[in-house]
Amino acid sequence: MLFRTFTVLIMLLTSSLAIGATIELKVNGLVCGFCAQGIEKTLRKNPATTDVFVSLETRLVAIAVKDGMDIPDSELRKALTDAGYDVKAIARTDNSLATLRARADEAKK
Amino acid sequence: MRTYASSALALIIAAGAVHSKPIAFAGGTTAMAEYGAGTMTEIQAFYAPSFRYSIGGGHLAFDSDVDDSSSDVTYARLNYLPKRWNLEAAQANAFVWGGIGVADVDATNTDQFSWNAGGQLDYETRRLYGSLRTDLHEAHDFSRRIDTLQLGVAPTAHDYQTLAIWFVVQGRHYTGNLYDGLEWAALLRMFKRNAWVEAGVTQDGKLQAMLMFNF
Repeated sequence: MLFRTFTVLIMLLTSSLAIGATIELKVNGLVCGFCAQGIEKTLRKNPATTDVFVSLETRLVAIAVKDGMDIPDSELRKALTDAGYDVKAIARTDNSLATLRARADEAKK
Repeated sequence: MRTYASSALALIIAAGAVHSKPIAFAGGTTAMAEYGAGTMTEIQAFYAPSFRYSIGGGHLAFDSDVDDSSSDVTYARLNYLPKRWNLEAAQANAFVWGGIGVADVDATNTDQFSWNAGGQLDYETRRLYGSLRTDLHEAHDFSRRIDTLQLGVAPTAHDYQTLAIWFVVQGRHYTGNLYDGLEWAALLRMFKRNAWVEAGVTQDGKLQAMLMFNF
């Protein structure tokens, strides 16, 4: 019983600490490419960022982060707020930015 | 007047919004230059410490289409964003601004204290936009207000990295003996990344143009 509890605890801990290679943000108000420049400018300043993808089509902002690094949700929300937008959801995934670009292109068709 | 204002607001809400904004993003700088059919020419530059406000200044030249009088205003200004609505597929904004400056009045050959105030309501989607803007400049020898309504449509929905193309109809009303009647203009607006350019003609065949950069 003790072993099972310990195992479940370890699994819960490791799953909550698991960090994906990409952070995906669903953003409201993302309708103008000219106005959204601040998103990329702010996020690229973060030392954990390797690349940023913004899609008006899918209302998505995606950040590729360096191996073993993460950006806290509070920093992500502040970056988007400073750029003038509202974050609706944050997810850490294994999708590459290339995959997300392809999905956005597909959504336009 | 109330009917006119209500109709304009209804058009904005129905059509979509304004692009030209006096506040870009926290840490961003916006530079704008506008040539308004020979009646007004303006340059502006603003820095935004926060997405809520920006500070900066500009120079505005008035050249009357009615009596050939002219005056220039150099001003410092604070822009403030009291309300932004970030919707799933649209954004709307309410901006206000105010400032002080110096007016150079040709008729009396004097430099006068001046103040300015204004506001803008806008709403936009990726295909439609509308805006209503008013800008008042006051000095001892003049009181001039420029009210601008813009309605636009994009033939295709642009994306972040692609060229945006908009067809815009603009109606502009001047007070202070600057222009007699309502001035209409048809504009082609294009922007990509941080650069914006638009140009068109008024019903009098005069050039209306604007350049803007965010950095």
